[in-house]
Amino acid sequence: MAKGFDIDHLAKLARLQLSAEEKTLYSNQLNQVLTYFETLARADLPPVADVAQVVEESALREDIPSQPLGSEAVTKIAPAARDGQISVPRVVDDES
Amino acid sequence: MSESTWEIVIGLEVHVQLRTRTKVFASVPWGFGEEPNEQVDPVVLGLPGTLPVVNRAAVEQAILFGLVVDATIPERCAWDRKNYFYPDNPKNYQLTQKDFPVTLGGQVEIELPGPSRNVMGEHKSIRLHHAHLEEDVGKLSHSGSGSLVDYNRAGVPLLEIVTEPDLRSATEAAAFLNALVTMLTQAGVADCDMEKGQLRCDANVSVRRLGDTQLGTRTETKNLNSISGVRDCIQYEAARQIRELEEGRKITQETRGWNAVNARGYVLRDKEDAHDYRYFPDPDIPTLKISRATVERLQKLVPERPFHRQRRYMEKLGLPYTSASVLIADKALADWFEAAVMAYPKNPSGIANWVVNDLLRDLSVVTTAVDSFSETTPIKVSLADCRIKPAQLAGLVKITDEGVISKQQAKEVFAEMFRTGQEAGDIVNAKGLRQNSDAGELEKIIQEVIADPAVAKSIAEYRAGNEKAINALKGPIMKRTQGKANPAMIDQLLRKHLG
Repeated sequence: MAKGFDIDHLAKLARLQLSAEEKTLYSNQLNQVLTYFETLARADLPPVADVAQVVEESALREDIPSQPLGSEAVTKIAPAARDGQISVPRVVDDES
Repeated sequence: MSESTWEIVIGLEVHVQLRTRTKVFASVPWGFGEEPNEQVDPVVLGLPGTLPVVNRAAVEQAILFGLVVDATIPERCAWDRKNYFYPDNPKNYQLTQKDFPVTLGGQVEIELPGPSRNVMGEHKSIRLHHAHLEEDVGKLSHSGSGSLVDYNRAGVPLLEIVTEPDLRSATEAAAFLNALVTMLTQAGVADCDMEKGQLRCDANVSVRRLGDTQLGTRTETKNLNSISGVRDCIQYEAARQIRELEEGRKITQETRGWNAVNARGYVLRDKEDAHDYRYFPDPDIPTLKISRATVERLQKLVPERPFHRQRRYMEKLGLPYTSASVLIADKALADWFEAAVMAYPKNPSGIANWVVNDLLRDLSVVTTAVDSFSETTPIKVSLADCRIKPAQLAGLVKITDEGVISKQQAKEVFAEMFRTGQEAGDIVNAKGLRQNSDAGELEKIIQEVIADPAVAKSIAEYRAGNEKAINALKGPIMKRTQGKANPAMIDQLLRKHLG
């Protein structure tokens, strides 16, 4: 059985409020996923080269400016806006 | 407090905005001072269906930086998602490089202040751990019950340069930042204008008893935005830690902020396990393979390292430290100086003197008159527009060395050259400044002057053994020649005639 996660901690990081039932449900599901990976990790395979997708530099974008959206379009899709800026509940980084 | 028994250990993380036209993963332009949210597009906002595409200029500038500091450029680099919830980032993750950064290792040579301005201080090499390419985040401003978000800065290419814990004092940290800024700007990869937030720094500080080999518990002070801020903050934080330990308390590993106004550090409220960023490879941006051909091409763009240049000026060209250090701080100025030396290689110190004193002084006067706001870069602006060209200054030094004009006359010629851009020789001819070395004519003048009864007293004194009395005769002679006479020749002929 896979271990090594704390459902309360994960819920807090994801800003989720979970009921006791949900915690049990998601814990079991996460466990199944992790157990599956443990199974994969046990498979006896010959060493293979890195198969992650690698691109050459030709996939890079040239540094040529395109048209911005404009602040009106940006603020229009935000739930709240003021003076061309997106308005959010107060977040603080102030001295304590 | 007994700081002498403690050693301060500092590592810096320096965030530098690269000098691109567009953002690192989006083709929208960026720049300082725009109206809020005018430099934003769907990729910056992380809207559904958008995909980031890496900016070639950002990658190449990062590699060029790596080459400037002798770093290794790995064959591959890759981006990861750093997950956190905060409105400065619309995607809820920041794209950064955790495991496969664009450069590894490297070092920056620093120069500490000498015992006086004229004396070069100690040099040290500060190792870099790595540098990685990431995106800047948006800007928050707080008002009343809410906060406002401007995403113009979000997605601006940032190079995060991470040092090893090699720095041992606030002075060394400041010297490191100065050297780093010089290298970044001279390589053309960043402007490092701190007032525009183009360079920000986090300082990791710990202390240990002298002789200890284990590092003490460190704190990290975030978001320092000036070199003096870094210096003050490190001094404050080291003193605080020493006081805590000497009074028997422990140092807590914590993130801190710095208030530059009252010069005090403070603990940042912990953003509830914000350190648990759950990094994972970004699935939208494939791993990038960097060809050796690109590295070789960029290697050719690496400018001479500033302190290498300083050594060359002092050792090969015989320049004093005071001139060499001024020249190397400004690449355009140093290049200008070298062009002049190329035109007249016999007297590099003489040329350096003119450049560092007269040229810089006159350039700064001109610039101040034209634009009093650009105080930080007055030379760069005007050197390109300077009327005197390097070969022309070389010509002035040459005719002065050859005795065609006196040093005093050279000042006058220089002022005229600076104003008009004419050749030194032409000005000398036009103004009739040529130093008179015709012994026959001069001898005639000398004979007339010493026959004048007004100077009889001085002549008597000189003959009686008062060496200085001869000077009283030189003035009238020089006046009769309208300042054109060669002073050495006057002296020689006078002594001959007075016997």
